[in-house]
Amino acid sequence: MADEFPFEISPMFEGERIRKDGMYAELAGPKSKGFELVRAADMDDVEDGRFTLIGPDLSDMEEGSRYPLAMVYKIAGELVEADLESIVERRNHEFQNYIQGFMHLNQRDDVWMRVSKDAIAKGMTSFESVAKAIMMLFKNELPFIEKVEAIYITDMDEVEKEIENARAVYKARDERTRDLHDEDVDTFYGCTLCASFAPTNVCVVTPDRVSLCGAINWFDGRAAAKVDPEGPQFAIPKGDVIDAESGEYTGVNEAAKRLSSGEYDRIKLHSFLEYPHTSCGCFEVVGFYIPEVDGIGWVDRDFAGTAPNGLQFSTMAGQTGGGKQVVGFLGIGVNYFRSPKFIQSDGGWERVVWMPKMLKDKVFDSMPEDIRDKIPTEEEAADIDSLRTFLKEKNHPILERWVEEEEEAPEEEEAPQATAPQTGFAAPQMMQMPSNFMPMMGGGGSGGVKIILKNAKVSIDKVIIKKQD
Amino acid sequence: MAKIIAVTGKGGTGKTAITSLLIRHLTKGDKIVLAVDADPDTNLPETLGCETNKTIGDIKEFMHDERDNLPPDVSKESLLEGKLYEILEEMPGYDLLVMGRPEGSGCYCYVNNLLRSIMNKLVTNYDVLIIDAEAGLEHFSRKIFRNVDDLVVVTDGSRRGLRTAERIRELVGELDTDVSNIYVIANKVTDANRERIAGTADELGLELIGMIPVDEMIVERDLAGEPLFDLPDDSVAVQEIEKIAQKLGL
Repeated sequence: MADEFPFEISPMFEGERIRKDGMYAELAGPKSKGFELVRAADMDDVEDGRFTLIGPDLSDMEEGSRYPLAMVYKIAGELVEADLESIVERRNHEFQNYIQGFMHLNQRDDVWMRVSKDAIAKGMTSFESVAKAIMMLFKNELPFIEKVEAIYITDMDEVEKEIENARAVYKARDERTRDLHDEDVDTFYGCTLCASFAPTNVCVVTPDRVSLCGAINWFDGRAAAKVDPEGPQFAIPKGDVIDAESGEYTGVNEAAKRLSSGEYDRIKLHSFLEYPHTSCGCFEVVGFYIPEVDGIGWVDRDFAGTAPNGLQFSTMAGQTGGGKQVVGFLGIGVNYFRSPKFIQSDGGWERVVWMPKMLKDKVFDSMPEDIRDKIPTEEEAADIDSLRTFLKEKNHPILERWVEEEEEAPEEEEAPQATAPQTGFAAPQMMQMPSNFMPMMGGGGSGGVKIILKNAKVSIDKVIIKKQD
Repeated sequence: MAKIIAVTGKGGTGKTAITSLLIRHLTKGDKIVLAVDADPDTNLPETLGCETNKTIGDIKEFMHDERDNLPPDVSKESLLEGKLYEILEEMPGYDLLVMGRPEGSGCYCYVNNLLRSIMNKLVTNYDVLIIDAEAGLEHFSRKIFRNVDDLVVVTDGSRRGLRTAERIRELVGELDTDVSNIYVIANKVTDANRERIAGTADELGLELIGMIPVDEMIVERDLAGEPLFDLPDDSVAVQEIEKIAQKLGL
């Protein structure tokens, strides 16, 4: 099939690097300009197989020269739609690298190509042969493309004129991509990269939940799992929805069992206080429940001070990390703050009562506007008392959760009672217990005991609860 | 597949000078070399007479800082590959890559994983990969380079220096990286200590593949901060390196 081209076409050339010593011409790249763009068009607007070149051809270029290069492909077909553009565009990278003596790096307006001296010597003297090969591969590999035409531009003025249009298309596409949510997909992705530090960790990456390390989003998981389904990132079929609000799915629960070696069998992706996500070895931010105000504070790795609960990031991370599911603490990646499902089963942003300033600044634009000035940082609240005062002053929505308690014991401020799972003790060691321990504390409505701690400062190294003989 | 050689040793033993001279030897032939500076304490680029701007450390930081601003579905492997090609310093006969600063406090599991796959692919484009590695072999423990054919430990003539070689051999045993051969080069050797070094190496069971005499030309260039890459063929160190290269099959 490749006989008609003056070069070999094969996936074996994919990793081929063209060094400066062996390079005939450099196209686009960090020292020039260029882009690649695929546009879906109407059948009538595409002349199948047509190639247009605006600017000098390879044969006009001198050895060692550098030119801009833009590559535009118009595709049409009954099944072709705008959503497919980026998928097709990505293949340009792959297919151009199949061509011996042609190197393609990066994507979009970062593309960077080189043509080797050997390729020129063997007859690659026109972009037409390159474009025709790519068009052939598009149609062979992506059968929904019925017609394709290519326009290559090597004229700087023309590239500069067109590049802005291309950028507008990329931007619009990114906005659509960011609008993808858990409910729109049927597959999530797992990752075991830090399993050696966190053997029972169950990392679940969804469109609305970035990995705890912050490095892997749903698209990264998808890309990696496609290349190597047995690799460190792999598909987790979502299964049936058990509860959309807290993010519980049968597929995730099954994966939890498998990945934690039976340690955990339930994970709610957007919950903090009930069956939360496990916390790995290197999450970026840890959340901590503050029973005194029934709210949740967050502290990131870069904050060296102590949170209002008197603990530092490192202490809380130590309690939480290693792949444990710890009610009362939760490791997350910074980008999870930007998720519309951010701990939504526990009230989302309305439950957030404290963050270090640097972290707050980082995610400020993604916070709901009416909560922005109601969440204190270390500058406004360094301990529980100042935190409580600040929340009251600003009328933080968390106050609505206090009403009940104040009615029960109007004269005394009291720590939330140990009668409900979401208001358990804050002592870290207690929190380390598996969440199925929590319901026991309720006493099953049999009267039980009410524990009220007043002005208590409790420090417990270890709590051992044993059945009496 | 490229032959992978790592040159290591304590600071001050001259391992960077020896790495440069091995690269010099290779580029005189028709071998295409990828040189990697994996020791933040030394300066392979300067010794080669080549200027570098950015390092792998810089692009790892870029990936870390920019990841939330990138198009959500950008292929990060492809992006990292492009960045890596951008920082590759292309010299006649060899390319140079500098590992650079150590990682920050963030999690680098993912980016290192991408880097491993990119490096594996990149290495296939060369005949020889030669790494100037710090004695702790950190990049090996992170498996950025999977296997090493020859690990060359450079030592001075002292018994302590040879002991270091012995310790590095033990360290290699603890790594997951496969190392096929471990060799020792004694540097700055004089007539007075030549026999003794050979004896000690023998006693410790180390395979000594070369003894490089003190070279006045190197001493002068070191003082002046000049590169060693263009040392003349009659330099005594260059002549000994030729013999060593033969033993390494280069």
